Amino acid sequence: MRRDLAHISEQVLIERLVIGDPAAKELLYDRYAGALYAVVLQLVPVKERADDVMVRVFTWVFQHIGTFHTSGYRTLFAWLMRKTRELAIREALPETALTGSALMKLEEGVLQRFYLMLPADQQQVFRLSYFKGLSITTIARLLALPEEQVNDILGDAMKSFRQFLKDTWN
Amino acid sequence: MELKFYIESGIIESFVLGLASEAEVEELQHMRRLYPELDTEVEFVERRLERAAFDEPAMPPMEIRDRVLQKIRWEQGHAYSDPSSNYTFINIQPKDGSHITVHRWWKIFFIIFFIMSKVFLFLAIFYYLKYRMSQEQHSFNLHQPVKQEQTSPSQV
Repeated sequence: MRRDLAHISEQVLIERLVIGDPAAKELLYDRYAGALYAVVLQLVPVKERADDVMVRVFTWVFQHIGTFHTSGYRTLFAWLMRKTRELAIREALPETALTGSALMKLEEGVLQRFYLMLPADQQQVFRLSYFKGLSITTIARLLALPEEQVNDILGDAMKSFRQFLKDTWN
Repeated sequence: MELKFYIESGIIESFVLGLASEAEVEELQHMRRLYPELDTEVEFVERRLERAAFDEPAMPPMEIRDRVLQKIRWEQGHAYSDPSSNYTFINIQPKDGSHITVHRWWKIFFIIFFIMSKVFLFLAIFYYLKYRMSQEQHSFNLHQPVKQEQTSPSQV
């Protein structure tokens, strides 16, 4: 990593990424790879696949950094995490579809800890939604519940998540 | 009050995690246009999540970094070079005194030398055989008149 870039702000980093500065790309990796890899490992239990996801994430980010400002996200990390989860789920689904047990045991993490704190019904819906990337309609069909009920359960889980974040990282 | 209730519903967390439906995302964007203070709340939530993730990172293998940077170099058409990078070159040549390093031209020289030596060897054998044959021919020609001379007085 170039030392002169090590402390630049997120905004400047984005501007340099938009113009394709290779040093900024390197800095982006060094700054966010650790946090994102933890996210990937919670979703993709196979190491080789998790590694591939990381390469894909950064390749995508370098090509689409221009879309950050219209994404609705305010921070680079949240935007990166959203894309990382999306690509990781795409990689994880064929192997672990609808089982989830191996996935849950492999890596500890913030979302894993939060998931374990939830009541059983919220755990089930949150697991299928966050870790499996299933839509409300699919979850409702899987659990034989009305969509409104699944939506409410996920809403309750999100309220708990809000409180969980505020309590620990406010 | 209504805005507070909306925020407390966890819709922002749902959006940040990528769990919100398209309709919910549209509604949130609409609400953000109506209430710009929602942007601050979105940023708060994102920063909390960022702090949470940075508290427990998992360092990926160096191999991934190499693969990512390799892709950057390919994209730059091999033109990317960082002038401030401080590379360390390690000489892996054994230091036992039994090895020498020579210029690559020596390789071509030795190949040419080898081929030429084969050509000269072939020519040497060829001319030696030719010389042998001419010698035999010459000695044969020398013996022929003697024989004729030996046989001619008896005939007379």
